[in-house]
Amino acid sequence: MRQFLTVVAFTLLTIGFFAAYSNYGIPQIEPAPPPKEEKLDLAAMSPEQFIALGERIFNGKGTCTLCHNELGRAPMLGNLADILPERLKDPRYKGAAEDLEAYLIESLIEPSAFVVAGFGKKGSNDAESPMPNVAGGSIGLAEAEVAAVVAYLQDSSGAEVTVEIPTDADAVEAEEEAEEREAITEPDLLMAKFTCPACHKINGQGGDVGPELSKIGASRDRAYLRRALLDPNGDIAEGFEADMMPDDLGEQMFVTELEVLLDFLTALK
Amino acid sequence: MKIPRLLQAVLVLAGVYFGFVLVFDVILDAVIPSSLLAMYMFFATAGVFMVFTYDEEQTRELVAPIKALVEDPSKRPWRNIVFAILPLAAGAGTYVQMQPSLEAPLELRTIHPAPPSTAKIYGKRVNLLKLENPFRKIEKEDPDRFRELVGEGAAVYIRNCQFCHGDKLDGRGPYADALNPTPLNFQDVGTIAQLQESYLFWRITTGGPGLPKEAAPWISSMPVWQDFLKEDEVWKVILFLYDYTGHRPRSWEHE
Amino acid sequence: MNRSGLIICLAIAAVVFPGLTALAQEVAVAGAYAPAPKLTTADYPTIAGVNSRIAVWIFAQLHLWFAAFVLAVPIFVFIIEVIGMRTRDKRYDDMAYEFIKVAITAYSLTAILGGMLLFSLILFYPHLFNYLATIFTESMFYYAVLFFVESAALYIYYYGWHWLQGGFKKWVHLTLGLILNAAGTTLMLLANAWLTFMMSPAGVDGAGVFSGDAWAAIHNFLWNPINIHRFVANIAYGGSIVGAYAAFKFLTANGPSERAHYDWMGYNANFIAICALLPLPFAGYYLAAEIYTYSQQLGITLMGGIFAWLFIIQAVLIGTLFLSANYYLWCGMGRSDGAKRYTKYIKYIAVVLVGAFLVWFTPHTLVLTNEELKALGGPHHKILGPLGIMPAKNTAVNVMILFTALSFMFYRRANKIATVGWVNAGNAIQVALFTAGIANILFLGIYHGYFTNTVYKVAASIPQVLTTVIVIVGSITLDSFIYRGSREVAPLHWGRIPARAQYALFLLAVSFTWLMGLMGYIRSGIRQHWHVVDIMRDASADAFTPTLGYAANVVSVAAILFMAMVIFVFWIAQVSGNKTLPAGYWKEQPP
Repeated sequence: MRQFLTVVAFTLLTIGFFAAYSNYGIPQIEPAPPPKEEKLDLAAMSPEQFIALGERIFNGKGTCTLCHNELGRAPMLGNLADILPERLKDPRYKGAAEDLEAYLIESLIEPSAFVVAGFGKKGSNDAESPMPNVAGGSIGLAEAEVAAVVAYLQDSSGAEVTVEIPTDADAVEAEEEAEEREAITEPDLLMAKFTCPACHKINGQGGDVGPELSKIGASRDRAYLRRALLDPNGDIAEGFEADMMPDDLGEQMFVTELEVLLDFLTALK
Repeated sequence: MKIPRLLQAVLVLAGVYFGFVLVFDVILDAVIPSSLLAMYMFFATAGVFMVFTYDEEQTRELVAPIKALVEDPSKRPWRNIVFAILPLAAGAGTYVQMQPSLEAPLELRTIHPAPPSTAKIYGKRVNLLKLENPFRKIEKEDPDRFRELVGEGAAVYIRNCQFCHGDKLDGRGPYADALNPTPLNFQDVGTIAQLQESYLFWRITTGGPGLPKEAAPWISSMPVWQDFLKEDEVWKVILFLYDYTGHRPRSWEHE
Repeated sequence: MNRSGLIICLAIAAVVFPGLTALAQEVAVAGAYAPAPKLTTADYPTIAGVNSRIAVWIFAQLHLWFAAFVLAVPIFVFIIEVIGMRTRDKRYDDMAYEFIKVAITAYSLTAILGGMLLFSLILFYPHLFNYLATIFTESMFYYAVLFFVESAALYIYYYGWHWLQGGFKKWVHLTLGLILNAAGTTLMLLANAWLTFMMSPAGVDGAGVFSGDAWAAIHNFLWNPINIHRFVANIAYGGSIVGAYAAFKFLTANGPSERAHYDWMGYNANFIAICALLPLPFAGYYLAAEIYTYSQQLGITLMGGIFAWLFIIQAVLIGTLFLSANYYLWCGMGRSDGAKRYTKYIKYIAVVLVGAFLVWFTPHTLVLTNEELKALGGPHHKILGPLGIMPAKNTAVNVMILFTALSFMFYRRANKIATVGWVNAGNAIQVALFTAGIANILFLGIYHGYFTNTVYKVAASIPQVLTTVIVIVGSITLDSFIYRGSREVAPLHWGRIPARAQYALFLLAVSFTWLMGLMGYIRSGIRQHWHVVDIMRDASADAFTPTLGYAANVVSVAAILFMAMVIFVFWIAQVSGNKTLPAGYWKEQPP
């Protein structure tokens, strides 16, 4: 029996030594967790997840918060459910929607169907909206993504979420995918991507929330423009308000894109 | 006079220990890491134990002094001294070990983490397993043009890389001392000589922020070069790195 | 015990195989196979709070250990039986019988654990099992059939041992042994196909749709490399476990004759283990090289990434195996009186072995304190750095193998004095062979390892291995000629060996067990978050790759469970021989 116990103790000691060495003798490197699935599987999503996806798109890829924020560049959207009946009866309403879901989809695709008083394009007398079509152009949301945004808007304005999660649509690309994009080399595309004309007028096109840029190269040098892009609130042009321009362009743009944009702007004379 | 076997064993181990310290720290001027030396000594001790105990008679001779110390009534004063000293020494050792020091905690990082199978570089999703240096084939086809490309790579290197990685590619550029981890030494057989060109392309273009988690990205100051260099410039620099150091990129095809 | 194992297997077969057949029919009716399912966390049942990965992990590991043991033992029992037949030395036949007796009790445990593994897979990973089952329906069916063949062959082989003796009957018995081994090995090959399919899937397209060609799925890229590696490792493992059994019997033996018997048994088991251990590193390199060839990503994950430190643990364990095997040989020299002539060389062998081992152990990434980092001027160490990469390690392991072979040759010569006239010339040739071999290995390692490009770096390991093989085979062949008709110095004293040597055998068995668990972890772990690499993703909560410490803890717990079961198996083998005669318990029967 004594022999037996000695052998057992010896075995346990040996195994203990190996385990201790593996735990304390070598560095414990924690492997990266499995990468996130690149495609979101809509079919497997719960309504809550779908609404959360809409919120992420609203704050991120959709660039909605650029204007729909506390600064009053666009109407706030928290009370949509309450004002909808009134809205649909408004004589200025040019759309065909009969409920909130249809109305929201419509205003995302055709923003000019109804322009809230005071928020129209300058000079259009509130007939034309400065908002782009979110399904096209630089934002380019897929059908399912639009649906997700609508679900989020319904939910956040206190209405019942009536949007059905599309099951036959192609799976939506996940957030990380969306952010990994190619560097843009065409100034036009670049301006569209970062929605500069929404606020700045260039050669007669664009809003007037920010200074006109049609001849900016004549009055400002490259260093100033670089600073203005990276730190927009550092030096506000006369007659304009601070905190209107996004201050994270430096993080959103590739360095090469910044140079392309500066080349373009300094050449505007 | 014959040295007692127990003393012999202790002397051999002391000899091995100081031998390592002498050879590495003094003669070669390349200190031996204490963690490694500890494991070396562990196995040296195992080896000494094996040699000193495979024979029954010699084993008896080896343990005789210890046995005598514990069992022999005439050695009682010695026994008491040893039994007092041993726990004290163990306690002192533990104290020294556990005492907090001013030394910063060890940073452990994997220098060559496994690459992802694909990565988004220059806005394209590239398959790192199949990616090849587009200029490599010119080496055979047109050696003169290849020399030119290497030269262009050298120019890019001198303008961008040598500040940290050094003008001799040995990781000792003027800024190197300020960085931790220190810039990689390309002359070392354990670095680019072990890697494929696609791996270098991945590391250069995505830099420190592109490292996977296990390689502790937040402490590498390697810039994300795809923001500053053109794609062909990166490939030319890679040509230069191998050309200057005389290493060959790892490849699985015979040339 | 045996019967219960069979019943469980029958029950499993009854439940699973009709299911599989139905599944196959469904697929056949549908005309096409479905792609690999895309799973979500919800597809993995949680049952009674059990961690599913650890459950499957431990059952798989326990099953594998027992399976390795019960596959290996019949292989060398068969060989020992043949040796006994040729030499007509009954000791061999008795030893073979004792080995198979040890194996047969382990056999039913193997089956039970295999059943537990199957159940846990079906319960915890139903979709994975389903997917694999659609592809491997046929091979699973043959697996069941072969299992019955193996069981039948094993029972007749064991219970008929004393009945089938002498002349023609012995031949019948030997044939049974052959059938037993053929069935057992084929079983292993089939099971290997299932797991290598998960690493290097074949016979399916990118979405996992099965082409219907079962052979393509079985004969996938890593199948043969794993087959070779496992076959060799199983033999070494079986030898080490039997060695531990003999060691325990030696320590608890009554009287010198029993001690002599178990010493002899332990020696033979260790001999088998060492013979299989020597080619094992080469089989391992071949497997690793094939993994690299199949997918560089798997390869770099294996050798360069998060698992790099695992090979340092592996180095410690393999070093332990080599050192304890050598130590056992050196201790065994005490059995003969002529060994004194050779013992003076042992210390040099030890120095080379430990030296080579230290090279092998040196990690590529050194753990440095900040002070050391400053003193070195960076994480690169100009002396130790080059020792951290493959060429140095290949060289070191070849040297270790050569010197282990040398230890063995010394042991064989210890008690003999050659009588042929050309002894000195023969010895000189052997010395020259060893010297040239070592010089060649060092040259290949240093020149090709550090001064040529990668293709040759990898290629150099092949001539190194060939050199080692030529030196070992050449000098042992020469030895057998030199010592033809030699005389013995004194009779060999079996049983004259210190108890320490028996602990070397335990160390061998325990290290081997633990090492197999560790390498099982990495083989499976390099798939990372894939059930079937690049085809079927693991979406369970346990898809993450654990740290080495975590894996080591699971392996340690499994190893302790295994050891407890092995002790139980050995104990039960012994209990069957015990008899108690209770006085006055039974009614007196009238005459």
